[in-house]
Amino acid sequence: MPQRSIKAASLPWEIVALEKFCTPQNTQASQWRRSWRATATWLAGKRGAEQQVKEEDELRLLPEVRLAHLVPPIDWSSAAALLSQTIFQHKLDNEPVVFFITPPHGGHAPIVSHWAEQQSVQEIVPPTYQELTDGSLAWVEHCAPFKRWAIPALERHFLRHSYGLQGVREFLERAFSGRLGHGVIGCDSWTYAYLQHAVGVEGAPVFTLQALEGEQLARYFADIANNGENNLCVYSTRTGKQVLAHPEEDETAHKASAHKELQRLAAHCRGHLGIAWHYWRARLRGPASAKEVDASQDTSQELWLVDALADAELPADTGDVAMLVLHTLLLHGGLEDQALGDVLPFSHHEALNARLALTRQGILARKEDGRWQVAPLSYASVRQLLETRNYLVDPL
Amino acid sequence: MDDQKQYAKLFNDIDSQALISLGIILASVILLTIVSQRGLNWLANRLHGQVRFRIFALVPLTRLVILIVALAIAVPIMIEPSLRNMVTLLGAIGLAIGFALKDYVSSLIAGMVAAVELPYRPGDWVDIEDTYGEVKHVGMRTVEILTPDDDLVAVPHLKLWDTAIYNANNGKTSLQCVASFYLHPEHEADWVRKALRDVALTSAYLKFDQPIIVVAEEKPWGTHYRIRAYPVDPRQQFLFITDLTVRGKQVLSRAGIKPALLPPDMALEAPDAAGGRRGLRH
Repeated sequence: MPQRSIKAASLPWEIVALEKFCTPQNTQASQWRRSWRATATWLAGKRGAEQQVKEEDELRLLPEVRLAHLVPPIDWSSAAALLSQTIFQHKLDNEPVVFFITPPHGGHAPIVSHWAEQQSVQEIVPPTYQELTDGSLAWVEHCAPFKRWAIPALERHFLRHSYGLQGVREFLERAFSGRLGHGVIGCDSWTYAYLQHAVGVEGAPVFTLQALEGEQLARYFADIANNGENNLCVYSTRTGKQVLAHPEEDETAHKASAHKELQRLAAHCRGHLGIAWHYWRARLRGPASAKEVDASQDTSQELWLVDALADAELPADTGDVAMLVLHTLLLHGGLEDQALGDVLPFSHHEALNARLALTRQGILARKEDGRWQVAPLSYASVRQLLETRNYLVDPL
Repeated sequence: MDDQKQYAKLFNDIDSQALISLGIILASVILLTIVSQRGLNWLANRLHGQVRFRIFALVPLTRLVILIVALAIAVPIMIEPSLRNMVTLLGAIGLAIGFALKDYVSSLIAGMVAAVELPYRPGDWVDIEDTYGEVKHVGMRTVEILTPDDDLVAVPHLKLWDTAIYNANNGKTSLQCVASFYLHPEHEADWVRKALRDVALTSAYLKFDQPIIVVAEEKPWGTHYRIRAYPVDPRQQFLFITDLTVRGKQVLSRAGIKPALLPPDMALEAPDAAGGRRGLRH
């Protein structure tokens, strides 16, 4: 996959055709570093912590209220507006189907939902679990009256089950033939990769969010903190240097060194903002000396970013059962326990056991809708391990 | 008397220094062989994918290199390596081998050929005569194969000369598996073909960069369907075939498609129809 040079952008978003997606600079180096760390851990046992300028026990977790101000949830609506613009620019208004894909936690569902709302387009309701396992086509029949429609998350419309492909195959066949009018489909990049093989979806144009470089991440995190009003200083515990450069600073060399830390994060996250956001939120700390102050009143602007990439690795000797669970969850954009047991080739008890073990290790996390999915902080190492073991991986 | 002196001259004087040197060489060979064989096997068993097979392939090669180097050092200590001496020595050895140790030495030589030509290497799934399983170790004289029934079979390399060796994955991660279905002739064949393809596409073990092929063959007793597909890892082959078989049967049974009832004599005669080992893969 090509890597591009760092370039400035006023907005973090850029929507590009799938073939134009390129990972940030140093992504390959980041993967080698991760492989080396996993090998070293495996050979020498649990590795010792890297030398830090600031130790973690000198820091404290930030209160939720403060975090909510510093790292508010990503507002995907501006990306939805950009999606409309992209569809217009590429003259795809009359295209039967346009795909918009992002990796897990990447925002395709909220973006397509926002798009549907902005365009006053009907969203197609996903089939029930029972309909999927029965191979029922009733939900496809209900789509017939729509002329313009949107599916925010195609991963809710199929199941890797003997009968779970019939509905999505029939739906896509009708959609591609133009019988359903025009629609935009939001889809998890892993589901897209799977459906490419299982059903065939190459006929439709595919767009995605371009990967972000460290500089763009730095600007985004600085902007979202209290709407960019405060002069936020975040230092790296690894280097002791500032992580966010400020607009008023003109020293190019200083800016470059500041972005280096976030370039490292961008490379680790393959440039996906949704995943980088989770890292940023989980790794921000305040100085411990401020603990006497009432936490909610704490407005000190000196913050620390704990070594962002440590302790989120999957062991290199992870067994086949765990790999199958992880791969299955990624292909479906997350699953509940019942569904997980139904699509895996072993008993529900074994599937549950494996899921529990992975949850305990922090590899899996429960989403708001109750489904289990690979945790954002583990995604990079899980993807890399699946790739090295020849499992199907996403194109992003 | 002259002849005796001549033969005695074939060998150098083996003094205590020469003995110590030979002892050190022998000990080094044993030590290096054990360390390299165990170390490489240990490492390869903890890896996955293509790297695993590459490291396994190094096991017999490393041993061969160690032996050649050791011989190159030890022979000049024992004999004067002139052409005459070498011809005499090799002639004597050849005579002994020809009469007494023919098969043993033939296996050793075949082992060297196997280390270079690599007809099998640890991690490969091979079928030699009636033995099918995973190659666990390629020794000097034999290749050790672990069968699916957990029997460790030592097959002499000698078989290399005159026996067909079926290597299912040949040092790679792609190993084709075949799941068979025997159906009553009255059914909608096109539907069955698509349904069986979906069964393969929805298997958790499926390797996607290889094709899935559903083969139908008409027989006097009904139709024989085979799903040919590849698992992610060759070690998953039996789980993969089981998964395809179990879910394939569920789908066919739910659609009301009856299995073929083979006459008992035909079931006994045809190894494929009986679901024999070869029937799983071919």
